[in-house]
Amino acid sequence: MPVDPATSPTALAPVMLAQDLVVDFGDVRAVSGFDLSVAAGASVALVGRNGAGKSTTMRVLAGVLPPTSGSVHVGGVDYAVDPGGARALVGYCPDVGGLIPRATPWEHLQLAASLRGLGSWEDRARELLDRFDLSAAANRVTSGFSHGMGRRLSVVLAAFHRPALMLLDEPFDGVDPLGVDATLQVIQELRDDGTAVLVSTHLLHLAVDACEEAVVLRGGRVVAAAPAVDLSGDAGRDRYRSLIA
Amino acid sequence: MTAWAQVRALLGLRWQMVRSPSTRLVIRLAALLLVYLLVLAARSAGLYEKAALETAVKLAPQAFLGFGVLAVVAPLTAGGGNELFPPDQLVAYPIRARTHFLGGLLLAPVNLVWVLQIFALVAETAYLTAGGDAVLGAATTMAFILALTVTGQALAWTVAGLRQTRGGRRVVLGLGVAVLLAALVVVRTDSLNTLLDHAPTRVVVDGVLAGAHERWGEWATITSVLLVLLLAGLAVGARACNWALRRPGDAGAVREARPVNRRPAQASALRELISVDRASVWRAPALRRGGLVLAVLPGVAAAGAALPWESIIVMPGLVAAGAGLLFGVNAFCLDGSGAVWLASLPHDPGLVIRAKTVVLTETVLAAVTVAAVAGSLRSPGSPTAAELGAIVAGGLSCTAFVVCSCLSMSVRHPHKADLRGPRDAVAPPGALALASLQLALPAGLIGLVFEGTASSGVWWLPVILGLLALAGAGSWARASWAAYDNPGRRAGIVQVVAAG
Repeated sequence: MPVDPATSPTALAPVMLAQDLVVDFGDVRAVSGFDLSVAAGASVALVGRNGAGKSTTMRVLAGVLPPTSGSVHVGGVDYAVDPGGARALVGYCPDVGGLIPRATPWEHLQLAASLRGLGSWEDRARELLDRFDLSAAANRVTSGFSHGMGRRLSVVLAAFHRPALMLLDEPFDGVDPLGVDATLQVIQELRDDGTAVLVSTHLLHLAVDACEEAVVLRGGRVVAAAPAVDLSGDAGRDRYRSLIA
Repeated sequence: MTAWAQVRALLGLRWQMVRSPSTRLVIRLAALLLVYLLVLAARSAGLYEKAALETAVKLAPQAFLGFGVLAVVAPLTAGGGNELFPPDQLVAYPIRARTHFLGGLLLAPVNLVWVLQIFALVAETAYLTAGGDAVLGAATTMAFILALTVTGQALAWTVAGLRQTRGGRRVVLGLGVAVLLAALVVVRTDSLNTLLDHAPTRVVVDGVLAGAHERWGEWATITSVLLVLLLAGLAVGARACNWALRRPGDAGAVREARPVNRRPAQASALRELISVDRASVWRAPALRRGGLVLAVLPGVAAAGAALPWESIIVMPGLVAAGAGLLFGVNAFCLDGSGAVWLASLPHDPGLVIRAKTVVLTETVLAAVTVAAVAGSLRSPGSPTAAELGAIVAGGLSCTAFVVCSCLSMSVRHPHKADLRGPRDAVAPPGALALASLQLALPAGLIGLVFEGTASSGVWWLPVILGLLALAGAGSWARASWAAYDNPGRRAGIVQVVAAG
């Protein structure tokens, strides 16, 4: 099922448009001709085996890693032309850690608010910390956090400014059921407000719960795109296995 | 698998991780150069007049004592000794406590100050044994070096074990304050020279002399005592290390679970980044302890010795180099895995490196100022205008050099470093040793140049030189900022410091 950005169901008014992305690390090609567009309010799951290029792709889409070639537009802004303008529209939860070890959650939010130029952000910060059960830990340094707490805080930071594009890389990894519910709820709320959401995960059932579409990566390129529900159940799992094998 | 076999395996792995053939060649050449220089030091006795040799021999107990102090202080500041690998990278392997202890011992020489002290001891041994049996004297010196290094590590592991609990930390704090007060009493009562005259290392020097002049009984007794101390240190140190690593501690958990005071939002993004970086430095146990030691020890030592003003001019360079090694040589490691998140925020990337520059500059400058002020408290007489100018301009120039050099290293050679534990370092041992060489030698030379300008008696000479140095440093810093402005370079730094 090759993907054509022009005919993809999410191609209308894309918030994010990635075209022919290539990322090389020396002789190793991590991402090879990645194309994807995600429309406002859409949610897409990025799935695939370890080393398929999911996290590298997410880093490129977040503007952290410049691609070897290809382009990424967010809200019509090209990263290559105005990286700050594109990043202002994105909320990103990195795959591992993603937190400054000796800063507190509140200091992370303070820094994000300052760099994003947000005014009156405190109520939103308190509300998100409360929903993700992090209020009691708001003034503790994150190096003492459990893995799940760190994941939850990373989702809070990604959703904090109600971004136009939210990129969540393994947001459910090691997170308890209440944290998973909070994440799913935030995804739905932001989608209702027009945020485009891209979720990279190995947990297929949560990908199905969180997203309406799924894109399968293998060897750094998109090998299939389908409604996420097609990957549910035994038949969906078998289909997924055949795609990534 | 024995502890020695584990150490061999870890050393082999560490060597394998040096991927670049040119770096391997440089390490081999540096080792050969070190041996060559030691041989030269051992043969240096023939270069001096008799009077100079007699003076050197007179100073031998102090030189041996200096090494003894270093052998105790260095592992104490490292929280028990350096580690071949960060502990979190070894959790999956059955590494013995004895392996950690032996690894720390083997890493003791990967330290510029330790190496310089060894040169001093080798040269002193050559002077002491001039015209006698050098081999026996050298054996005593070698036994002394090994015994003190092992004993220092054993003591440091014991302190690390004590510090695992609140009660233990109070005991260690009490002992530290007592030592500091004793040092202040010695300084205030001008009894340092009397104390040095009775330094216990006189016995060791007697042993070296006995070996040189074939007083067999005396030589054998002193050398045997040192060897017994060495063996006892090995046995006790391994047990102390085992105790420290296995003792259920509350230090880390308490520190990380304790809420910190919420600070008000800053007026600008740069100030916000500076606040986060500053907190990252002072909330890291290893950096906090290293900073305090750097600020206090050199000043107290200089005050104790009542250094003349011209020596105070040289001191800031060495203190600045030490301060740079705290975190400056790998400044981006402060962000840890948060570097990825930070890079995704909309901001001028220049703000990130400017914030690091500010925090690094204030840390180095604070250490230099405290050391220079404390060190000059008991300097005889008043400084001349030229000496004062040289101290201020030299201190600022050394600070600027160290900051610029650190920025350059941070941008070119980043490393992953967690800095969670008391023994965590900002870079692997070899990289730190190389960085200390790159910082200390030029900074020491800058100090010597300013000392030269002070001896000219012309006050404006060091000031002009200082202004030129600061202008040069400004260009150097801008070059590092420009390098960091490159998106590819920046992404490379983020990938390394945030590696999972």
